[in-house]
Amino acid sequence: MKTNTETAVTAIETISRGFADIGYICDQDIATALFLARQLQKPLLVEGPPGVGKTELAKAAAEYLNLDLIRLQCYEGLDESKALYEWQYGKQLLYTQVLREKLSDLMDGAKGLDESMARLNGFEDVFFSEQFLLPRPLLSALRSEAGCVLLIDEIDKADNEFEAFLLEILSDYQISVPELGTIKAKVPPLVFLTSNNTRELSDALKRRCLHLFIPFPDPKREAEIIATRVPDLDARLRQHLVQFVAAIRGQDVKKPPAVSETIDWARALILLNAKDLTPEFVASTLNVLLKFKSDIDIIEPQLTTLIRESDPAPITRGA
Amino acid sequence: MFMLGDFIRVLRAAEVRISTAESIEAAAIVETIGLGDRQLMRTALSQALAKTDAEKDAFHACFDEYFGAMLDAVKSSDNGSSAEDASADGASSDTQDPHEQDSGDISSEATPSHDLAEMLLNNDEAGLAARLVQAASDADMSDVRLFTQQGLFTRRIMEMMGLEEVEAAIQNARNSGDGEYESNLRHARQRLFEMARDFVEKQIAMRTANSGKLVREEALSRIKLSNLDRSDMHIMRGLIAKLAKRLAALHSRRQKRSKRGLIDVRKTLRKNQSHDGLLIDLQWRSVEVSRPRLITMCDVSGSVAAVSRFLLMFLYSLDEVMPRTRSFAFSHACGEITDLFDRMEPEAAMTDTLMRFGGGSTDYGNAFTDLARLVMDDLDHKTTLMILGDGRSNYGDPGHEILREMSNRCRRVIWLNPESKALWDTGDSEMKRLGAYCHTVQVCNSVRHLERVLDDMLRLSI
Repeated sequence: MKTNTETAVTAIETISRGFADIGYICDQDIATALFLARQLQKPLLVEGPPGVGKTELAKAAAEYLNLDLIRLQCYEGLDESKALYEWQYGKQLLYTQVLREKLSDLMDGAKGLDESMARLNGFEDVFFSEQFLLPRPLLSALRSEAGCVLLIDEIDKADNEFEAFLLEILSDYQISVPELGTIKAKVPPLVFLTSNNTRELSDALKRRCLHLFIPFPDPKREAEIIATRVPDLDARLRQHLVQFVAAIRGQDVKKPPAVSETIDWARALILLNAKDLTPEFVASTLNVLLKFKSDIDIIEPQLTTLIRESDPAPITRGA
Repeated sequence: MFMLGDFIRVLRAAEVRISTAESIEAAAIVETIGLGDRQLMRTALSQALAKTDAEKDAFHACFDEYFGAMLDAVKSSDNGSSAEDASADGASSDTQDPHEQDSGDISSEATPSHDLAEMLLNNDEAGLAARLVQAASDADMSDVRLFTQQGLFTRRIMEMMGLEEVEAAIQNARNSGDGEYESNLRHARQRLFEMARDFVEKQIAMRTANSGKLVREEALSRIKLSNLDRSDMHIMRGLIAKLAKRLAALHSRRQKRSKRGLIDVRKTLRKNQSHDGLLIDLQWRSVEVSRPRLITMCDVSGSVAAVSRFLLMFLYSLDEVMPRTRSFAFSHACGEITDLFDRMEPEAAMTDTLMRFGGGSTDYGNAFTDLARLVMDDLDHKTTLMILGDGRSNYGDPGHEILREMSNRCRRVIWLNPESKALWDTGDSEMKRLGAYCHTVQVCNSVRHLERVLDDMLRLSI
């Protein structure tokens, strides 16, 4: 009889392997978080520097679990009408215009204002029915039949009102719409919230979620990621590359290069047919890694030293 | 689950904020993943209980200390044996002790006499650890508050673990004349004592470490800054950093306040074009709340220098919510020190400032003249001018005319005075004349005051 621990550990390993098959290398922390989020049906708040793979995680989860991915990109000024649902006013108006004739037929025989109003009241629901409802990401997520993965991207860019609005969805997976009543999720979606930590999220939001922090990967894991994403790269060059990027992250730069930038640089290496990391080559492609001029100015003078120190197996010239 | 509740109490003492709902969640998680894998438990609980960077660090430290404390106590008291990796929360142990009744489960029952003695003699680490845990909960370790209670709790734990049986065994051995067995038992008792003592020591360190710090910080935030000791400086720095972070988090959103009741007609009409002119979507007038623009002028002579130092330190920790700050220092002359603080660390910048401007006696007339020359063009209706000084101009010209002109130009003038109100207008203090041209005049001589002033300024910046 398997204990809970053994079941859990096996499940987490399965998740790790499954993700690796899709092409997303995840470590113990990430796999555990996913396992818990799914088991306990709690939303998962993923924080970390930009470019470490937070959004990718949600996409990979959707692929692994074979569910739809519904994405809501947050920005300041995002409100209910763009996130939850909207009435298609234009369509409603158009229909009224077209049906104007029909309307007079219906009113035929009604004497006086009261009776006409009574007649019209009977048809009230026609114009606020499902066919005029435009569901936005949140409503679609709640309504999806087979469940889905809901990705709420960059929640720290949204304002406080929107955060407060989300609280009901995150805790009970339901939403209250004035015209349609309370809509409860048929199958609770797996919710991912990503944040770049530009501001502190409210405690109420954090309380309702499990919290996962994804830091910059260590060189070994980064090498695995590059091996998966850019398989054509030579192994020795790959080692040199990740050590070099790790060295840059250790320097005092404003924006340390993220995993996505490392991958881009690896692709650049292949594209430009580089066999080795020479100072000239690195200097010319440094803007792929570093996106601020001030950072490039800091790193450029130290290029030769950094390249030499990060070389894993230096080729000795002469004895 | 008593251990989880106790552990959460320890976490809260280490300033990790855990709500009741989160602790319930933690219990659900422990049930899902079981108790077998310590690393898994560590990861899973950190995701449910620690939700900021600082909290995660505190959590990991606490976890390692809490769940390691029991193992360490058992291992360190016996120097000769090889380290057996028995997890304190009850992983299956592979000891061969035939007397052992349970397999190291947390809720072990008290076993009859001589077992403790046997365990000590056979070096049964798992069994001893289990006994220790049980004794700790029976002895109510969570009540420990002061280091002076160490002796008391050590004794209590020893008794809970079964000291009496060991004593009885020693007595029996002495009566029956078995000298070697008796001396072994004495060693065993000594080991029991060391185990309990080490364990209690660690527990006290863990549970009371932070309470002392919090009390000290609380006290320090209220005392007069001029009375501070050199030795308190680094705690002050930590305290100011903490307060600055809190203020920054509170005010970091740029607010857009839509005034209710005022419809922006132009926007409304434009928005509703698609609806054939029917006003379905109303647009409200919105007012953007901008970040304040601050010009600070600090007296760096004599005792006021202490307060100035902290004000400047505070300001420069807040530079993400108050980015456009220009600071000036004065005593008999006034000069700009913004670039000093940009280039150097606050301590070094302050020393440099004192060197340049800290010398003479305060002359407000001269200082204001200098300031006006440097800054008058920059003062506009969005700027706040903050002056920190005791208003004592050594019977010289207080420069209030210049202050009046500056006050007319900027949005607000705030005067912060380190002296208590009773001393204002005594001697050479010109507070009455200078204060007349300020919007706010406040006493400011402790970190509390500084925090309040800055919080008000950030909040009211419309």
